[in-house]
Amino acid sequence: MRRFPSHVMPALVMLALAGSAAAVSAQDQPSAIALRGGYNAAERAAVAVRPFAGAGASADVLDSMATIVRRDLAYSDRFEMVTTPSTLATGAVNYPAWNALRAWYLVTGDAVATANGYELTLTVHDVVYSKVKTSARYRIPAMNATTTAAFRMALHALADEVVRTISNQPGHAATRIAFNRQNKAGSANATGSFDLLIVDSDGFGLRRLSGATGQIYSPAWSPDGKKLAYMQGSAAGQRIVEQDIQTGATRVISSAPMSTTAAYSPDGSRIAFSAWHEQGRESNAELYEYDAVRNCCAKRLTSARLEDQSPTYSPDGSRIAFMSSRLGLPHIYVMPAAGGAGTLLTPYVVGQKGYYFGPDWSPTSDEIVFAGHWNSRGTYQIMIADARRAQGQIRQLTTAGDNEDPSWAPDGRHIVFSSGVGDQQLSLYVIDAVTETRRKLVDGGKLRMSDWSPPLARASDYVVR
Amino acid sequence: MLRPVVLFSLMTAVALGACAKKKPVVVTPDNTTPVVSPTDTAQARRDREAAERARTDSIASARAAEEAAERERIMAGLRNTLEQVIYFEYDDDKLRDDAAEALGQKVQFLRANPGIRIRITGHTDERGSVEYNLALGMRRAQVVKDYLVGFSIDESRLEIVSMGEDQPQDVGHDDAAWAKNRRAGFTITSGNALTAPGQ
Repeated sequence: MRRFPSHVMPALVMLALAGSAAAVSAQDQPSAIALRGGYNAAERAAVAVRPFAGAGASADVLDSMATIVRRDLAYSDRFEMVTTPSTLATGAVNYPAWNALRAWYLVTGDAVATANGYELTLTVHDVVYSKVKTSARYRIPAMNATTTAAFRMALHALADEVVRTISNQPGHAATRIAFNRQNKAGSANATGSFDLLIVDSDGFGLRRLSGATGQIYSPAWSPDGKKLAYMQGSAAGQRIVEQDIQTGATRVISSAPMSTTAAYSPDGSRIAFSAWHEQGRESNAELYEYDAVRNCCAKRLTSARLEDQSPTYSPDGSRIAFMSSRLGLPHIYVMPAAGGAGTLLTPYVVGQKGYYFGPDWSPTSDEIVFAGHWNSRGTYQIMIADARRAQGQIRQLTTAGDNEDPSWAPDGRHIVFSSGVGDQQLSLYVIDAVTETRRKLVDGGKLRMSDWSPPLARASDYVVR
Repeated sequence: MLRPVVLFSLMTAVALGACAKKKPVVVTPDNTTPVVSPTDTAQARRDREAAERARTDSIASARAAEEAAERERIMAGLRNTLEQVIYFEYDDDKLRDDAAEALGQKVQFLRANPGIRIRITGHTDERGSVEYNLALGMRRAQVVKDYLVGFSIDESRLEIVSMGEDQPQDVGHDDAAWAKNRRAGFTITSGNALTAPGQ
């Protein structure tokens, strides 16, 4: 739905001119690399979130509610955020005044304290047409030490609902990101220690789910958002366990040698992973598929030479992208989910030591994000390829430092990844693949292997019927 | 090039020789024919016997200590031979000449101690994908295992595992450090032959 209120038109013309200038300079790039997407910022709706009002809810609570929603809308990178002038902060909505500020939509909130939290009426106003677009009442948990996570999650879910109302697209606020942190470097006889951590999509609520003296690698969210499968290593080797996030209970998914890089199928019925397939000189890492319904019966999916790792399912579960070193160095391939010959996705140029790893298939499209470098002189950058175009054009999202372990948000446009100079000081960043806006999510060292959760809450979970 | 192997064979021979003797330690007293005098009272006889026992015991314990120290020394040598790591080139699983030589010594050790089981642990340097490095380490451990199996070491005695880049011998971030970290290590996981040469 394109809407071009009269006041937007001059900006649109200017952007169109700027766009053609960018197209000329893009021709200087090597044909396989495109550093910029052709994004037209003029299509972003302008949105304001007015301070929330309320009876019985403290100013702190109201401020937190509005701030969370406002920031989530900004982090969606789908809108131009309009600042609320003090003259429009309270009272009846003055549509002509908001229209003069070039706001297309306005979000207002009205909270009432209840026995165990708040009832929040959230309204999206269509400023251009001077009317209420949607309005609903929601139950929000209280904001105290034990319920803050639930309070924030409810507001994230409401923010996603606003994104959907305005753009008809999914948001990514009501989500979390799981990742590992190496706390202590290893030595000749000790692995050091790793933690398994999760954090909210806006960088709040960092907490530790598991810690061990050995390795913890590559956590993967179950499609229902209730479990994480990850690799757990000790001096005796590696296995894949699944941990219930709520209870902390774990069970073993695979204890085959060097079991690693688990990924759930979108329907949760299968878990693909990599393990060592020992057969003398033909031994190698192959992909397997665990039956998560019958809880058994790992079956081998690949039979190529050298290493296959890091499987990731297409949104319909029919295909798997993965890393394989069958040509000598790691590249990204796509194959049918039941196994079979892989199609090489990344560019293979003889003599150039291209190295690509850690693929993650978009939950909404055929885009596959991964890390890699074109030749051995480069550092690792985040890149996107189209699963339907073998060795087609690859879009490079980052240009400096070391960038690894990308993972898509459920909105199919944001990507979390590790970035730093050298791999000793890796922090987590989020980049929007459309606007290329980026922000730091978690600061720190040796933060890796992030996996973005599916939506963990929806506005309908909180609505007062 | 053969020298260390020969030395090792000698050490093994010493260990095996000590093992083959298996004679109980017998200490013969100097005065094998004690003179029984009429003045020899029961008390005096008991005292003399006690003194002899004490002397015998002290000689036996001194010899036992000596043998234990010798065993310890041989054991340490054997353990060093077994646990000596071997190194690899960057992103490579081929055995270097010096690695093959070191593995030759381990073959002899494993043949001489059939009760020993070992774990071979593959390691990589920090460059590249962390997960892929796990596979690269496993491949190195596998290559070492295949080499030993090629010399008729029963594969059930050889466990392989990879620690990827997580156990650096040198925590530096340069070529010298990386060269030390691309390696395979060896640990005894079960078997007691080593602890008992000479018994």
